[in-house]
Amino acid sequence: MLDYNALTKAVGELDEEQVLQMLKDFMAANPTEEEAQKAVAACQAGMTIVGDLFEQGEYFVGDLIFAGELLTNAIDVLKPVLGGESSSTIGTIVLGTVAGDLHDIGKNIFKSMAEAAGFKVYDLGIDQPAANFVAKVKEVNPDIVGMSGVLTLALEAMKDTVDALKAAGLRDSVKVIIGGNPVTKEACEQIGADAFTTNAAEGVKICQGWV
Amino acid sequence: MIIIGEKINGTIPKVGKAIAEKDEAYIRDLAVRQAEAGAHYIDVCAGTAPEVEEETLIWLMNIVQDAVDTPLCIDSPNARMIAKVFKYAKKPGIINSVSEEGDKCEVIFPLIQGTEWEVIALTCDNRGIPSDVQTRVEIAKNIVEKAAKYDISPERIHIDPLVMALSADNSSFLNFVETLKQVKAMYPTIKVTSGLSNISFSMPLRKEINRHFFALAIFAGMDSAIMDPLNRDMMTTLLATEALLGRDRYCRNFSNAYRKGKIGPKLEDRKK
Repeated sequence: MLDYNALTKAVGELDEEQVLQMLKDFMAANPTEEEAQKAVAACQAGMTIVGDLFEQGEYFVGDLIFAGELLTNAIDVLKPVLGGESSSTIGTIVLGTVAGDLHDIGKNIFKSMAEAAGFKVYDLGIDQPAANFVAKVKEVNPDIVGMSGVLTLALEAMKDTVDALKAAGLRDSVKVIIGGNPVTKEACEQIGADAFTTNAAEGVKICQGWV
Repeated sequence: MIIIGEKINGTIPKVGKAIAEKDEAYIRDLAVRQAEAGAHYIDVCAGTAPEVEEETLIWLMNIVQDAVDTPLCIDSPNARMIAKVFKYAKKPGIINSVSEEGDKCEVIFPLIQGTEWEVIALTCDNRGIPSDVQTRVEIAKNIVEKAAKYDISPERIHIDPLVMALSADNSSFLNFVETLKQVKAMYPTIKVTSGLSNISFSMPLRKEINRHFFALAIFAGMDSAIMDPLNRDMMTTLLATEALLGRDRYCRNFSNAYRKGKIGPKLEDRKK
């Protein structure tokens, strides 16, 4: 029988060896899908610990990237007994770095942490014009739109994107979060986003609060 | 990087005192702390008068083996002494050392034939320590060829090119690197090792020279180091250099060492 609390703790401590061993033993005992879902939830709870420790300055960016990878590996182990992907999805995010900005480290960290937390993430990539955000939102009808940027001019592109969502009549169907170095409370208001963050872990927490 | 912990050496005054007073707790503590700090081998060197070296080495070996699982590095300038105490080692470690002086190789190699023991080989001979690269490389080659006769493959040999004081020989480090490259070109699996403090002999700020030597030597391809794993600055250099060289995925070894307080300010000195 898998000790879910111990699994959560091991994920929080980023103890890869321990996590994979526990899941291997778990799988060897022919778990039900429900049990596997619980294991996924336990891993996701572990990711919350990782996010908290990052906020406290205990973990560093490398640890966050590793955490995302660890969770992907953990879920891969569980996949054979997990049903459809949808069952473990808590919400959907369309994500991208806005037009004119080529940075993706922060975006990718947010992506892996959001996926780890149970979100289905559609990652558009970097330097994405407003039209691409609009098209993807139309297509997948997400709960959340996440825009990332490091340059100051990204703020302008973020505003253009929100305006384009408004023009397409999609703004009210989604929550909008912006992230990256230049974002501030003022910028957030001016852009017309619902939330802002300079911290991937905090951003995921905000998104979790929305779904 | 293979770390050979150098702290248990009777030529260090405090250790010499502990040996003289049979202070077992002191030796045990050094073994445990070095192992916790990441030593892969624990060097034991009696540093006593020849007539008590055997009993001292056995005493040190027993304490270390009782305290930690980390294998030993048996250190004596006298190959016959190593042969005498060899049987008291509970598992394979490293012999420190052989060279082309006298019959050291002939005494040690039969001992470790058919085992997993490794050996440090100094590039010196009856003429002393060579000043040039070529003689060092030739000595290394001779030792490897002798070892082959006892089925000891190059990956079990740590060549120590005996780095000279930089103050006396300005090409000392460059010669070290050149020797390393030539020896590895001949035997790709061989290991190259060094102590970290000879380089700075008779210079001010020795520890800075030692640290920078270490970083550059790691970059050049040094495989093992006879060092003090409790030296936080040196461990910082090691971890930072390994990360810079792409050998530390997501820099997690570096970050973990910092988190555990092994590098950077000690945990008790950090602000909450």
